[in-house]
Amino acid sequence: MTNKKINFILLILFIASVLLGSYQGNRVEFLRECEAFYRWLLAVGTQERLFQSSEGSEKSDKYVDMNLFQKVSEVAIPILKENENTKDLIDDTLSTPENFANIIGNISNDPIIWQLSTRKELAELRKEFLKSLREKKIQYNRDITYAEAQASGVNIFNLFFGFRKIAASLIWLEVDRYWHQGLLHRMVPLMRTCVALDPNFVEAYLIGAWHLAYNATAKLPDTPQHLKKWSPKYNACVGEKEAFYYLAIDFLKNGIRNNPRNYKLYFDLGFAIYKNKMNDYPNAVRYLTEAVRVPHERWVRRQLYICLEMNGQYEEALKGWEDYKTRFPDNPVATRFVLRNQGKIYEMKAQELLKEAEKINDEQSKNEKINQANDYKMQAKEIWKKLSTEEGDPYGDYRLSLMEAMDLYNEGRYLESVAVLDKARWESPSNFDEASDLIIKIKQEANLPLTVSEKKAVLRKIEGDRCQGMPEKVPASS
Amino acid sequence: MKTLLDSIKGPWFIAVYTWREGLRRKTLVGFLILSLLVIFGATFMTSFINQATVGDVTTDMSLRLIKDICVTAISIFGVLITIFISASVIPTEIENHVIYTVLSKPVRRYQYLLGKFLGAQLIIIMNLCLMGGLFFIALYIKQRILPTLLLWSVFLTYFEFLIVSALTFAIACASSSSVLPTIAGLFIYITGSLTEYLKDVYNRSGQTGEWFDSLVGYIAYILWNVLPNLQRFSLKTKILELQPNDPPTDVLIPQLVLYGLIYAASGYILAYWIFRKREV
Repeated sequence: MTNKKINFILLILFIASVLLGSYQGNRVEFLRECEAFYRWLLAVGTQERLFQSSEGSEKSDKYVDMNLFQKVSEVAIPILKENENTKDLIDDTLSTPENFANIIGNISNDPIIWQLSTRKELAELRKEFLKSLREKKIQYNRDITYAEAQASGVNIFNLFFGFRKIAASLIWLEVDRYWHQGLLHRMVPLMRTCVALDPNFVEAYLIGAWHLAYNATAKLPDTPQHLKKWSPKYNACVGEKEAFYYLAIDFLKNGIRNNPRNYKLYFDLGFAIYKNKMNDYPNAVRYLTEAVRVPHERWVRRQLYICLEMNGQYEEALKGWEDYKTRFPDNPVATRFVLRNQGKIYEMKAQELLKEAEKINDEQSKNEKINQANDYKMQAKEIWKKLSTEEGDPYGDYRLSLMEAMDLYNEGRYLESVAVLDKARWESPSNFDEASDLIIKIKQEANLPLTVSEKKAVLRKIEGDRCQGMPEKVPASS
Repeated sequence: MKTLLDSIKGPWFIAVYTWREGLRRKTLVGFLILSLLVIFGATFMTSFINQATVGDVTTDMSLRLIKDICVTAISIFGVLITIFISASVIPTEIENHVIYTVLSKPVRRYQYLLGKFLGAQLIIIMNLCLMGGLFFIALYIKQRILPTLLLWSVFLTYFEFLIVSALTFAIACASSSSVLPTIAGLFIYITGSLTEYLKDVYNRSGQTGEWFDSLVGYIAYILWNVLPNLQRFSLKTKILELQPNDPPTDVLIPQLVLYGLIYAASGYILAYWIFRKREV
């Protein structure tokens, strides 16, 4: 073979390999674009399912996420309906976006969503998503580009060489330094830059939210309700402390959108912020339920059941604790909480029967109801005794005192009832507020004099939950 | 069969010889020691920076920092080792006149070149294994779970280096000194990491309506398509912080491996094309 021929063959081979490389590069690029689309679907699905209904009226028109998600769901749902394996996932009572968001919400459907993200039918919408991404019209789970990174002052060198993660970690060290210097105002924008550089930096979301909700508010006084200002963004009255709580909530919600399969973010939002800081048990239950839907540590369930109990969902809490006890028989806490919830269920049933009895005119039926209620009360007392003696839980004593106080109250022995409650609240400080509220109620009914702090509590209640700028009709939020 | 074995034997012996020679290079050993020190030091560094955090989050944070520092160290020192070794295997042989002795033996040029290329790959793989191994141990000590995802990360890093190595090797075939190919290798790595930016240029082009603006856009688009894009291997860092049940990764890894192999093949073809024209 002549030299020329060999050179020609080599040239052809080189061009062919480069073209093949280009083709393969485009395949990789296609997969990367599908991956970006898939992650965006997870983020917007989470937004639609968990946050959209609870957000206030201040929404930006700048972004197209929700409109695009609706379009995607309109294409995706018929595809899923046609498929034998996936048609059962669809709930016809829900709207298309809600349906699609619910399917996305289930971790076991991830491969289905990934398959959908790569399908030809969604090619146009994928293009629209990428175009909107370039035009910065996408709000959730968008990767920042070079220009944005440069504008935010991030060392561009780190980004160019693909070391975005280390850039994010180095910025996080700055956040830590500012924290030690007490420069909180500098921490927040840096924290945002940090998670913009690396949206999967879960620890940054967790520690950032912890700084905001706990450390930043540690020395702040509580804002009286009438001095708080109404925030349309959050649909809530916001004081100094609450402003930080909501910042922390926003930060964690952003983390959840970017990492919807990480239980830690749901857990911190439900437990650390809603339960511990805001005493908002319905929301605590909501996010802790989400935390247990994805792979999680065993203690996450315990917090969910505790929050269910605090939210008055005793039946669900009892079921949960019984299941937990079966799974982890060595757990010392489960038995106590099973008893607590059983006791509360009996008490609740007794109260319901007594209420029903009040409405009945027929003496015989009335007495039957009262007897039934007394039976439940006896069963509840047995459980509280068991909790106190066998499990050594002071909560059992507290509930016994509470029941005794209520019996005395029903007999018209108000002073004795107040005395029992007063003793109980000091012996069980974790239930101080509940007992104090009952004392006020009994004193008011019996025309007994109130103490100064009790008078203040009554005044606070009269003022109600209203704050500055609060609309007469509060918009509904879930 | 015998001919096939003979045609493999030759390159293999040259590869082993190149590997042994590579072990004696002080620059490479220096880089390796430095990288090992950084990886080892990362575990100590994290002890000083977590005072503000509590509980499990502290462990997660230090783990993350170890991962980030180690992956970056492997990338930086690994690519330096890759460039230095790929840039020097051929020019050193020419400088020492060893190439004349080897080529006077019954060894074809492509066999010699293949042997040298494989030898360079053996050194790169050995260095990656050493760095990855130490990183593996550091992570295992910290989290007490075998960090298997790290193996995938190191595996992908190798294919990124393979592209840089093949293209640097091709330039080294045209040079009689290792300085020019080393600089070119660094340039290849930087350009490869910036290829993604070309797409941004293409997307922003055509806004003024000027023909030159559109032309720049088209050139950027062609270059973006043709040049290897090393940013596509960013999965190597993502993979360490994977979310549970992450389906895209399984699909991307084989595609990236194929991508690396194709560009390595084109680099090798270019190297052979240049080398066979050369008068040695």
